[in-house]
Amino acid sequence: MSTQLTADDVRHLRTGAHFLACAIDPTAIHVYTDMVLQAMEHQSLELTTVDELASDDLVVAVGMVTQGLFIADMPPVGDEFLGCIKAMEASLGRRVRAIYPLAAANINGMIPLMVGLQASLPVIDSDPMGRVFPLISQTTLNIGQVPISPIAMMGVTGERALVEANNPQRAETLVRALVTELGGWAATAMYPCTAAQLKEHGVHGSVSRMIRIGQIQDAETSVERKFLMLAELLDATRVARARVSHIEGLSRPTDLGLPAQPSSVTLEDESTGQIIRLEIQNEILLVLVDGAIAAAVPDMVTLLNSEHGTVVTLDDVRVGNVVDVLTYPAAAQWYSPAGLDLAEPTAFGIPLRHPRRSHA
Amino acid sequence: MRIGLRLQENSCRSIVLDGRTIVSAAREIQAGSLAEALDSALSGLSREFGSGVRDITADVGHVLATRKLADVVAVHISPRPPADVFHAARLPAHVEPAVSRTVHVCGGHDMRGRPLAQLDLEAFLTVLPSILSGNVRNVAITSVGSTASTDHETRIADAILSNDSEMRISISSDFYSSVFRDRDYTTVLNTALMATGEELAALLDAAGRRHFPAATLSFARNDGGRAPLPRLAVAPVHGLRPEPASAILGAATLAGVPNGEVVICTDSGVSAGHIRDGLPAANSLIRQGYEASLASNAAVVESYTANHLIRPDVTSVIADLRTEQATPLPFGLVPTLPSAQDVALVGSAAAPLTSWIDRLETISGRTDLAAVQHRAEEDAQSAVVQLGANPGQIHIIESNVFAMPYGNPGIVRIRVQAAGETSSNKERFLAAEARCAAP
Repeated sequence: MSTQLTADDVRHLRTGAHFLACAIDPTAIHVYTDMVLQAMEHQSLELTTVDELASDDLVVAVGMVTQGLFIADMPPVGDEFLGCIKAMEASLGRRVRAIYPLAAANINGMIPLMVGLQASLPVIDSDPMGRVFPLISQTTLNIGQVPISPIAMMGVTGERALVEANNPQRAETLVRALVTELGGWAATAMYPCTAAQLKEHGVHGSVSRMIRIGQIQDAETSVERKFLMLAELLDATRVARARVSHIEGLSRPTDLGLPAQPSSVTLEDESTGQIIRLEIQNEILLVLVDGAIAAAVPDMVTLLNSEHGTVVTLDDVRVGNVVDVLTYPAAAQWYSPAGLDLAEPTAFGIPLRHPRRSHA
Repeated sequence: MRIGLRLQENSCRSIVLDGRTIVSAAREIQAGSLAEALDSALSGLSREFGSGVRDITADVGHVLATRKLADVVAVHISPRPPADVFHAARLPAHVEPAVSRTVHVCGGHDMRGRPLAQLDLEAFLTVLPSILSGNVRNVAITSVGSTASTDHETRIADAILSNDSEMRISISSDFYSSVFRDRDYTTVLNTALMATGEELAALLDAAGRRHFPAATLSFARNDGGRAPLPRLAVAPVHGLRPEPASAILGAATLAGVPNGEVVICTDSGVSAGHIRDGLPAANSLIRQGYEASLASNAAVVESYTANHLIRPDVTSVIADLRTEQATPLPFGLVPTLPSAQDVALVGSAAAPLTSWIDRLETISGRTDLAAVQHRAEEDAQSAVVQLGANPGQIHIIESNVFAMPYGNPGIVRIRVQAAGETSSNKERFLAAEARCAAP
């Protein structure tokens, strides 16, 4: 069912987008939320389901790919995504009918709203990750063998590129290299497909899930009540309430072409004496409790302030902080053999298979 | 002995500290003007304590926060200007009216410090005469990527100063944030406060010289430390909100607790922060909800709730600063300090000299990482010495390395805080006590 998003929906989406990607500073989401709210004063914003589109309608993913320059340090000037959509249409000789987020979390969860307003296109309540992954090849569309290219890109300086590569891993390598030279981020449009393909291989309800998470987090209710509601919505488990005892940079070797350095955070659960270790590279990849796997990518992890229930961004984690470590499952597609091939710990250089693989 | 001052528009509140003991309780002088109030306060203290006073630190936050901001020309350096009104950087409402004009200059750097675009100095020089001929004497310069390279900001600043050396200029690379709007906001606000900072520095300097010629004069910083008075004229923004940090430091000082939790109970509620190695645990940003953050190191203070975790092995200092103390404190809290004291004023008096290094570094491995961190620690210590600290009385309070999510491989953020004391001051500050107490 198609819905008109309200300003409150956008504010809740802001909170939900941060909740689902606590590794990344949320300032860019805040900046974009301001833009969206301003633009909504003059225009309505439609969130549609993939079912409401004609099965052969052309839909594209829009999102930022970053490698270096923080989006919040150089917010887009405003013409980038329109340029990407235009380039995509020119390349395919067809009009784009709707857009969807490249990742329904963090900044890429918010960007399609602004692009939808600018381009007067509906935003689809689906995405190809159901979370954030660092690589553009880590999508459920890739699992479903939906082509990633052509990929239209426009960088900080207004320079453009169109990448045509059949292999998603090669596309990732080429796009990442281009993004670096384009200045550190690029607005992109990719995974052009039919509504039917997105329906078959996408993660659905992922935009409205961000709004629902935000409604819970922003509500005037107790921290414990919020946790119970989130646990029900996300099938979440609180692995530990623990105090940060050590933060370590460059904690593991890396040679996989992933952005950023690996790092680790060690916590102590003072009530149980358990030692919790978070292995991080762009996202929280692994949660170990006394050496046993409590969560492993593609499982999702969010850190919450134990006292206030607010999301703790990894940038703000300091020795002595007490946080709740929440884990919850990713979209079902990620636990298929093909999904785990793309997104289990080994894909991030950690020599561990996901526990669900051995049970498959 | 050390004096802590709190300046307000027409009043001056003071306290005198000897070590961790209050030798003159907080007293306030009201007068027709701030200059008179300050003069009267220092005159009285001079008669009482004379040459025994070595350091005077003033909290000028209230004056800075209440004065009208001066008009500012904002210079934004980026590869391209915003294409529409929605994508233009927005300043918080209290600062936005101070910006009389925004000038865009093509330029900026990526996180590797490589130019995104050549600086269009020629175009800037064509608009410069119109900036200089106006009434506005304050310029704030913010460039994309200035955390990685200061080149474009300093070239624009040099171009202005070489045409008019009297202009007041702030550049955003003096304030660490990876967010353009945070740096823009901080730089604009800093520039808009520079005239007030100059005035306050001159006022304090004159009064200090008159009554305490041998004492060093400083202003209280947002991180719980202090900086010499001349810095107030160039970086007033770091003295804008010192009270939360000063309160934590003051309570910890009175309790003699260099490491622990500090709970402050006031009429408006209960808040908590931490003291670590003699200084408040600090964050590099003062967040303001969803608006731009102030890029200034400041104490981390959170509201205290019923969910607050009590850690038995961590000492808690609980200060009851309510006007009426007839009713018990909420959450079953029991004060650990004897009576209501102006702990923030104590904190100002007790503040050590502090300095931060917060920057990006490129590394290729663990050895490199250790080397750049060591260099940052040396630089932080050197910076405290430049502020007047005795090289023998310097401590590293914080030294951290942060990986940058979705950043360039090999680029990390290094953040170091050092604190020290002047050679004239034989009193050990709390950070030094923390080190001496450590096993």
